[in-house]
Amino acid sequence: MIMATKEELLQKMSDYVFEMEDEEIADVCEEYIEAGFDPLDGILHGLVDGMNRASEMYDQEEYFVTDLLLCSDAMYAGLDVLRPHLPEDASMGESKKAVIGVIEGDTHDIGKNLVKIMMETAGFEMYDLGRDVPIDSFIEKAKEVDADLIMMSTLMTTTMPGMRTVIEKLKEQGIRDNFKVMVGGSPISVKYAEDIGADGYSRNAVEAVEVAKKLCGVE
Amino acid sequence: MTTANERLIKILSGQKVDRPACICPGGMMNMVTKELQDVAGVYLPEAHTDARMMADLAKAIVDQGCFENYGVPFCMSVEAEALGATCTMGSQLFEPHITGYAIDTVEDYKKLSPMDLESGRAKVVLDAIRILKEETSDYPIVGNLVGPVSVASSVMEPTRYYKQLRQKRELAHEYMQFVTDQLIRFGLAEVEAGANVIVISDPSGTGEILGPKYFDEYAVTYINQVVDAVAAAGAKTIVHICGQMKSVYDKVAKIHSDAFSFDAVVSIREAKTQLPDKVIMGNVSTFAIEMQNTSTVEKLARSCYNAGSDIISPACGLGMGSPLENVKAVLSTVRTFGE
Repeated sequence: MIMATKEELLQKMSDYVFEMEDEEIADVCEEYIEAGFDPLDGILHGLVDGMNRASEMYDQEEYFVTDLLLCSDAMYAGLDVLRPHLPEDASMGESKKAVIGVIEGDTHDIGKNLVKIMMETAGFEMYDLGRDVPIDSFIEKAKEVDADLIMMSTLMTTTMPGMRTVIEKLKEQGIRDNFKVMVGGSPISVKYAEDIGADGYSRNAVEAVEVAKKLCGVE
Repeated sequence: MTTANERLIKILSGQKVDRPACICPGGMMNMVTKELQDVAGVYLPEAHTDARMMADLAKAIVDQGCFENYGVPFCMSVEAEALGATCTMGSQLFEPHITGYAIDTVEDYKKLSPMDLESGRAKVVLDAIRILKEETSDYPIVGNLVGPVSVASSVMEPTRYYKQLRQKRELAHEYMQFVTDQLIRFGLAEVEAGANVIVISDPSGTGEILGPKYFDEYAVTYINQVVDAVAAAGAKTIVHICGQMKSVYDKVAKIHSDAFSFDAVVSIREAKTQLPDKVIMGNVSTFAIEMQNTSTVEKLARSCYNAGSDIISPACGLGMGSPLENVKAVLSTVRTFGE
């Protein structure tokens, strides 16, 4: 049997993420590790590369939310294999921390989940509070983990005001400037984000990463 | 004098009328605000579970000059709860919403019981429609239904559900058929109770989430089954779809409803161009209604009219904090178009 080169395996890992192959990807990752290649390279230039390609397709409206969810399943299946092989002190650089959740009163979390996936792909350390998250939990968690970013979403117009409340409470506690705040969700607009004093808004998960990087001074 | 009911029915039948109708259906398209509750002296969450209160709150919408229709319920959780999802009734400011799922995987739909229309909130909704039918006239009574994809993705965890639409296609279709059959039963019961317009909102079954192929395969197919069934029972139908339509206009055109409603990201002009033969409802920004002043709301209502909107309505559910005078500004503006 001819051994595959590192590049060939990375390409395969990237392709399997891109093509939503969440079963075979584990085998390729095993093969990659057994050949003694660097796990971090495998993550960044294999798995994450595939996810980035998927998000380009999403931008071009060739892929949709369900496609990205399946791609991310494949990515995580690959990560499960590669991660244990990372050296103890290995890190993907100094990562920025973000707290994310769906605002109280709303349980629609598909968009939030996708943002979280894309943020993780981009190297952010994510703290997911889930859905129907009480206002104070955003603030407590952000303080606890010393987050760089607070990300809130809602799909319902009726729960939008909760975002403003979070920002107001941060101000009351004198810690507004400790965090960047991003908001999103279908009823949210740039105008609304500005009105409530958020730092950033994005229309979708791919754009959210760009905005987050800009706000946190990454790259 | 044309009544509001006659006008809406004519519009939905494709006939010419003096001016657009101005409605807010209820259901996902919430029309109850905090101020309205105060004025009516009827409050949420109690009105979600009491037919008399539900009917009274629906009446207050018309009595206060907010919109030209009655409509129930005031949330989008009745169907999913009746199918076994866990649901909180929310509060005066938060809508009822799903907090726990009934099944983990599509094939488990076989464990679900059919919707019980004789008890729980399904009965409350039907009783409220009966009260409205008995005690009112001249205004249309809207029965709301949550669309098949949105119900299916509320009864089971949505991320899993969306994946299984592709991974377990056959079983996913069986599940969708089960959900759709329940919606048809509930829809027909709403019509029988006295609703003459059925509005189906499917915010989780969008082109943006599913992509054109799966939007067609799942959303269009099953929405049409519901539309056809309630239309055969004599009701007019409106379908509300959220998000961008660009990738799915040709698929949306296959939906049989009498009218389409879109949210604020879709321009009425674009919708009118893309769907030339269809009745279009929309779409005054609910953000503007909640946060801006009456003159902005009036301007937006006028621009919907100028763009050719046949039924002027909020683009989405109203925020609970929307000032009553802003809410009323939509209808008061629409009324001037007939003069």
